[in-house]
Amino acid sequence: MKIENKIILSNAFNIGLILLIGFFAMQNLNLMLTKLRFVEIADDLNASFLEMRLSEKNYFLYNDESALLDLKEKIDSTMKSVDVVGKDISRAIGQENLDEMKSHLDQYSRMVDVVKTSGRGDMQIEAKFRTKGKNLREFSNTITRLERKGVNDIIAKSKNILLFSFLAIVATAVIVSHFISQRILRSLRQIQRLAKSISQGNFNKIEGVAPADEFGSVITAINSMSEELRNREEELIQSKKLASLGILTAGVAHELTNPLNNISMIAQNYQEFYDVLSEGNRLELMKKIEGETERIEEIVRNLLDFSRPKEAKLEERGINETVRKALELMQNTLDISNIEVKLSLAADLPHVRIDDHQVQQVLVNLIVNAVHAMAPGGRLSVATGQGEGGDTVKIDVSDNGKGIPAEFIPHIFDPFFSTKGVGGTGLGLSVSYGIIKNHKGTIKVESTVGEGTTFTIEFPVYNKDRDEKVQMKFRDNVDQ
Amino acid sequence: MSANRIMVIDDEKIVGDMAKLSLEQEGYAVETFLSAEPALERLKEEKFDVVVTDLKMKGIDGMEVLRIVKKLYPETKVIMITAFANLDAAIEALRGDVHDFFPKPVKIKELKASIQRALN
Repeated sequence: MKIENKIILSNAFNIGLILLIGFFAMQNLNLMLTKLRFVEIADDLNASFLEMRLSEKNYFLYNDESALLDLKEKIDSTMKSVDVVGKDISRAIGQENLDEMKSHLDQYSRMVDVVKTSGRGDMQIEAKFRTKGKNLREFSNTITRLERKGVNDIIAKSKNILLFSFLAIVATAVIVSHFISQRILRSLRQIQRLAKSISQGNFNKIEGVAPADEFGSVITAINSMSEELRNREEELIQSKKLASLGILTAGVAHELTNPLNNISMIAQNYQEFYDVLSEGNRLELMKKIEGETERIEEIVRNLLDFSRPKEAKLEERGINETVRKALELMQNTLDISNIEVKLSLAADLPHVRIDDHQVQQVLVNLIVNAVHAMAPGGRLSVATGQGEGGDTVKIDVSDNGKGIPAEFIPHIFDPFFSTKGVGGTGLGLSVSYGIIKNHKGTIKVESTVGEGTTFTIEFPVYNKDRDEKVQMKFRDNVDQ
Repeated sequence: MSANRIMVIDDEKIVGDMAKLSLEQEGYAVETFLSAEPALERLKEEKFDVVVTDLKMKGIDGMEVLRIVKKLYPETKVIMITAFANLDAAIEALRGDVHDFFPKPVKIKELKASIQRALN
């Protein structure tokens, strides 16, 4: 449901609640008014009844004959006024009580007639007459008392209802607005996280079903934007690849032309001076040709490694073994160059998923570079450890050589970029970069001219459950 | 009459060696250098008739060598060779009064003929 609709609904609910409370309060007020009206009438009646009893008393005590007439008159006028306001009384005390009161009045009136005919002296009639009058007054008093109590009860009840209703409205408002604001904040937080990760270059999506509200539309929009960005990034990577292919072609031409020219010049001279060359000279020239063909071979091999990275055979393993093997391969070179090696391998490192051979190739490459950067007697240190945050394993390869000038650092992973002049093909680091990238790892460099260079490789820690899930998902996609 | 002096500058050692082997057979006095800086120092000491220089080199490159030589020793002919042949470089070299411009791989006979023309 849309948040707008939710707010409308909760407001409608509150308004309904307020109307209901108003309705009940109104009803109570009406009832109270009815009761009060009766109490008013009852006061009048009570006064009349009191006067009736006074006339009764005058008749018996002071033998006042006119009192009986007064009494009869009062009864008649009271009966008339009861008939006039009968509806109000019946509403207040109910038809039954009204009828009872009327019958009391009626009986009293009839007793007046009886007393009139029988005259004074009959004690039995007198007693009955007085009882009737007393009953009438008592009944009236009881009803009045009850009604007063009823009014008080209604006032107390109304007060309670108003209080509870107020609390209910406040509670609903607080709870509903709390839920709605929680919902909004949760969606906002999701969107904020995604925006942050997009700004860091991770074009992720908000997983799960988007809620069917305004934020659902925003999340859907951001998800498709993220996907679009990812597609664009892939296109960008592809176009960069094409651009580097351009650099590659130019580089290859240049790289291959020099050894080809050397071979060509040697071959031309070999033919020209065949007769004058000694056997030793001829052998020497052929050796030179062989050397140049090896140069070409290396360029081609590196080029193949770069342009068509072999399918890596990723296996779960510890990194230390690979580092040790790479150093063993380089041992002769290190010894000849008189390089001191400081090796510190961290114990109990989590496993990574790597192609042993390819990572060795990268390490050999870094070590060769380090040896070239250092004078004999330099120091190479190779260290393994856990990366910051603990979800990566890293290898540091440091030398105390001449360092890389800051302006070269952005280009050192570009194909055919070399600071070694004729000696280097400029492919080693770019091939290394490709290999590490294939491992979903990173390779970084820090260097200070005159102090040395440190290359840091990081691989993600192998998480069996997660990686298998990813693979299964991949297989599912392929099957479809 | 003393032999004509030829200087060869190329960071590929084999180019210098092979040029020297071939040109010395023709009777030239040949000196080879792996970079421009020592070659320019040598030019201060002695006059060379022809300078054969590679275009792309670390430090001072072939185009710079051409400019310096043409400015300081206008009579010395410059022949440029390059593994990285492109039209722009050739045009720039021609404007700088280069005697000849060869893409690698160099045909030694053509180089010798070019030197011969330069000396006439």
